[in-house]
Amino acid sequence: MNIVVFIKQVPDVPNIRIDEQRMTIIREGVESIINPLDCVALQAALELREREGGRITVLSMGPPQSEEALREALAAGADKAILLTDSAFAGADTLATSHVLARAVSKLRPFPDLLLCGMQTIDSDTGHVGPQIAEELDLPQVCGVNEIHVDGDLLVLKRLSEGFLDTIRAPLPALLTVSKELCPVSDLSLGAVEAAFTQKDIIRWAAHDLGLHPDEVGLAGSATHVRKLRQPAARTGGRIVTGSPQSIVDALIRKLESMSILDEED
Amino acid sequence: MSKSFGDVWIFGDYRDYFQNRITLQLIAKGKDLAEMLNTGTTVVLLGEQVHQYAMEYVAHGANTVMVAEHPKLKEYEVETYTTLLSQWVKSYRPEIFIAGATSFGREFFPRLAKRLRTGLSADCVDLEVDPKSLLLVQTTPAFGGELLAEVVTPDRRPQMATVHPGVFRELPHNSEAVGRIIYPDVDVFPEPRVKVIRSRPPIKGKVSLEDASVVIAGGMGLRSKEQFELLYELAELLEGEVGATRPAILSGWADEERLLGQTGKSVKAKLVISIGTSGALQFTTGIQGAETVIAINRDPDAPVFRIVDLGLVADAAAVLPILIETLRRRL
Ligand SMILES: Cc1cc2nc3c(=O)[nH]c(=O)nc-3n(C[C@H](O)[C@H](O)[C@H](O)COP(=O)(O)OP(=O)(O)OC[C@H]3O[C@@H](n4cnc5c(N)ncnc54)[C@H](O)[C@@H]3O)c2cc1C
Ligand SMILES: Nc1ncnc2c1ncn2[C@@H]1O[C@H](COP(=O)(O)O)[C@@H](O)[C@H]1O
Repeated sequence: MNIVVFIKQVPDVPNIRIDEQRMTIIREGVESIINPLDCVALQAALELREREGGRITVLSMGPPQSEEALREALAAGADKAILLTDSAFAGADTLATSHVLARAVSKLRPFPDLLLCGMQTIDSDTGHVGPQIAEELDLPQVCGVNEIHVDGDLLVLKRLSEGFLDTIRAPLPALLTVSKELCPVSDLSLGAVEAAFTQKDIIRWAAHDLGLHPDEVGLAGSATHVRKLRQPAARTGGRIVTGSPQSIVDALIRKLESMSILDEED
Repeated sequence: MSKSFGDVWIFGDYRDYFQNRITLQLIAKGKDLAEMLNTGTTVVLLGEQVHQYAMEYVAHGANTVMVAEHPKLKEYEVETYTTLLSQWVKSYRPEIFIAGATSFGREFFPRLAKRLRTGLSADCVDLEVDPKSLLLVQTTPAFGGELLAEVVTPDRRPQMATVHPGVFRELPHNSEAVGRIIYPDVDVFPEPRVKVIRSRPPIKGKVSLEDASVVIAGGMGLRSKEQFELLYELAELLEGEVGATRPAILSGWADEERLLGQTGKSVKAKLVISIGTSGALQFTTGIQGAETVIAINRDPDAPVFRIVDLGLVADAAAVLPILIETLRRRL
């Protein structure tokens, strides 16, 4: 079974800081990591290869330093890594990102059986890229998968949807996005890091390698534009009360009464 | 300028109707947007025997409900819904198309946007029509909610967004409201490739944080398991549920199913009382959907106070016994 895993390098969000003047993210000093759910996808791919055989290709679109993420994936056991990098790709929204990724997949021979994405990234948080790759490649998709069984050329999957536990049947090839429940990520073993640096090469494809015109990728190929970034407004009207424990309790009780959670006492 | 705009469309998401009010919330917001554009609000409703929902949507403010009734539309199914709705969009040309950021909304809207070659923003927390450009300004969280991005779709149509449940208020039910309910032709559908073979309803175990109307959330400021357990008494007195921060769960004070936050559950309670939690963003994303948030923390500078309606600067160990005692006397 040939599997493609889409991985994105993201800033380690819980540690980012914000340049309040310019309303941008300060990336200096912030580690870059593989999007956590993409690690889950990779781990699942490794387990599937163990059972079913086949090869794992990792694909990433990003600036040249995304190579680190691909090296890590190779170190963890991926067979082949392709970096889609080109200055024309910058500023892509999900429509343009999925276009580049889908085009890269369509160049792979043989065409993969299974395509795995994270359910969403921690930087852009959209969860759009997976379904949009599936649409462009005319593949069936299932999002938020937390169990994968392969039965010949059929997949039997489980996922939670609004609290319902769905059991789903899908044919191969298919694209799945994975949730964190799929498998625990034992820190992807980096023991082989050095080997990965020396032994396996990363393939690089730019726009022209994919037969893509600069107008259909990056900012130019995007349908959406970010007009402005701002910080969330603090909730307003918040009242801060200090005082003795008894007066604090009184303030709380009055609030519960005003919300009709408690009946007023006469 | 006499540009005329297509309608504002809303995806009619009726699964779990009485709990899930997202469609009604979107109708209310859609009316504001439509007014700015001098156009109407249309709900598109797909399913089998869904007429009752069409009536509800009119009563909650929709000008038009477009219904597709067919046994093959009974299950929410990404490819079938994408195909049908992309055909409708091409014939009717809505200016804006929004859906709730429910599991299904987040699964099929990206596919639909892609087929229509248009933009989509995810899980928006605000939508406005810019009075100058008349573009839809879609406010969406980025970087785990650290920042909000204002996104626009300048050239392509429709302008599409999924919307976080609970950010807009539904309009009251008005049985006198009038609206059109129309049944456009629907094509035959190919067999879906993906099939839900079984769908087990949520096991409503003892803990259903998502549905609780009062949630007591506890963090490391409670200091010990014994202290944490006072929260169950408090929850019982207020007919609520207990939730916890990640470190509290790691300390073994509560089970994983009580985890609140980015990697846990999100509540839409009427009231959250958050006790001894610092208010890290990964945690507050789980409680921000509540109507009212009260926090108790002894540090007046704790970040949690930035998101509260009422902040109580106090030692939880001193306050909790008095609070429980006071409530017990009153009930
Ligand atoms: C990728 C990632 C995902 C995460 N996901 C989640 C998640 O889903 N949910 C989650 O909760 N966390 C999550 N975290 C962890 C999160 O960042 C915080 O570390 C966590 O929420 C803090 O928990 P806390 O408030 O209980 O503890 P602390 O940060 O230790 O805060 C304790 C607070 O209690 C106050 N306090 C101390 N003593 C008292 C007293 N006697 N009376 C009153 N107040 C007192 C202190 O002033 C302090 O503000 C995640 C982290 C990462 C990196
Ligand atoms: N630039 C990218 N390169 C490779 N994979 C990506 C990229 N962007 C998104 N993905 C994949 O799509 C998933 C969802 O991303 P998003 O839609 O940005 O939340 C991620 O978890 C990745 O698997």
